[in-house]
Amino acid sequence: MQTDDLIAQLSLRLEPVKNGAVTRLLMGAIVAGLIGSAALMLLVLGMRHDIAAAILSFGMWSKLAYTFALAAFGFWLVERAGRPGADMAKPTLLLALPLLAIALLAAVQLAAPDADMPVLVFGHSSRVCAFLVTLTALPTLAATFWALRRLAPTRLTLAGAGAGLFAGAAGAFVYSFHCTESSAPFIAIWYSLGIALTTAIGAVLGPRLLRW
Amino acid sequence: MIAQEAQYRDWMLAALMGDAGAYRMLLAGLTRHLRSYYARRLDSGAAEDAVQETLIAIHTRRATYDPQLPFTAWVYGIARYKLIDEYRRHKRRATVPLDEAGDLFGHDEATDAIARRDVSKLLDKLTPAKRQLVKDIKLDGVSVADAAKRTGLSESAVKVTVHRAIKSLGEDLADDRRGDADR
Repeated sequence: MQTDDLIAQLSLRLEPVKNGAVTRLLMGAIVAGLIGSAALMLLVLGMRHDIAAAILSFGMWSKLAYTFALAAFGFWLVERAGRPGADMAKPTLLLALPLLAIALLAAVQLAAPDADMPVLVFGHSSRVCAFLVTLTALPTLAATFWALRRLAPTRLTLAGAGAGLFAGAAGAFVYSFHCTESSAPFIAIWYSLGIALTTAIGAVLGPRLLRW
Repeated sequence: MIAQEAQYRDWMLAALMGDAGAYRMLLAGLTRHLRSYYARRLDSGAAEDAVQETLIAIHTRRATYDPQLPFTAWVYGIARYKLIDEYRRHKRRATVPLDEAGDLFGHDEATDAIARRDVSKLLDKLTPAKRQLVKDIKLDGVSVADAAKRTGLSESAVKVTVHRAIKSLGEDLADDRRGDADR
């Protein structure tokens, strides 16, 4: 086809684009993904039995705040990654804030005079935590990739990593409702490891699945 | 800031609201830059295909343009992505610098044609033998060794000839400019 004809055809079929179309697409996908992750957690792993008491505890709140902050900056990263020419530096730098906060909290807990280091660091589930976080993240990862493919990612490894980071953090948030660990060193190490694992999966899959 | 930014952005914002006329002008304007951009990087058949693919990509992904950000950077991001995609399809490994948006919008078909015309006018001042050597080595990327074989000259003679020819062209250009300034 002649390029001029193509231009004529494209402008003939022009439909207006609604404001916030990108955000709506991402939000829809992410809600679906989170429902999948929550269902996986409830059906396969199960809600922790003492949830009613735990929901008010400092340990639970530190888990939720840490993973929520990472997920929020991760979402911003995904939204930027889906737009050609957008700068991803700011959301990437902001990721340092929750990481610093949890590291600081972990250091404070480890430095306490009565600190029991092996318990604080390894808890009772350090062997499985990272893998279960990643498992819980998978439905959200799939949904985020689905949405990102409909946007226009131009740096596919980076976009995949962003999707992985977001999904990993969201998965860790959901996993918090199953896991009974509450020490900051445990969260700083094993939750972060699970999120890093999901990020790596996203980075590897990005160039394969996000092409358009 | 890229010169066309304000005009193209205005057209794009109108197009996002459904203004087909603005959209057509936008796509026609972008096509001139894209043609020049791909022509300098791909062979001619692939270049026109890449232009069309990029136009389609701009169309289908137009919702991803964020009005808070420069429009030219958005277009450049897509053009660069499609270029890398084309290289990948032909298993060519290539690095494409990240920030050349100015390069995309600094050229269009018209400026390319003027540049070609200027170069050929300048080359006309040389003797045919020298002109051929300069064209081969400086424009078409023929190696000095190949050029030497073709002309029967030694490699150092080829280098000296090309060097002197370029130098004399440079002096001519400087004279022309001085002439312009005097007028």
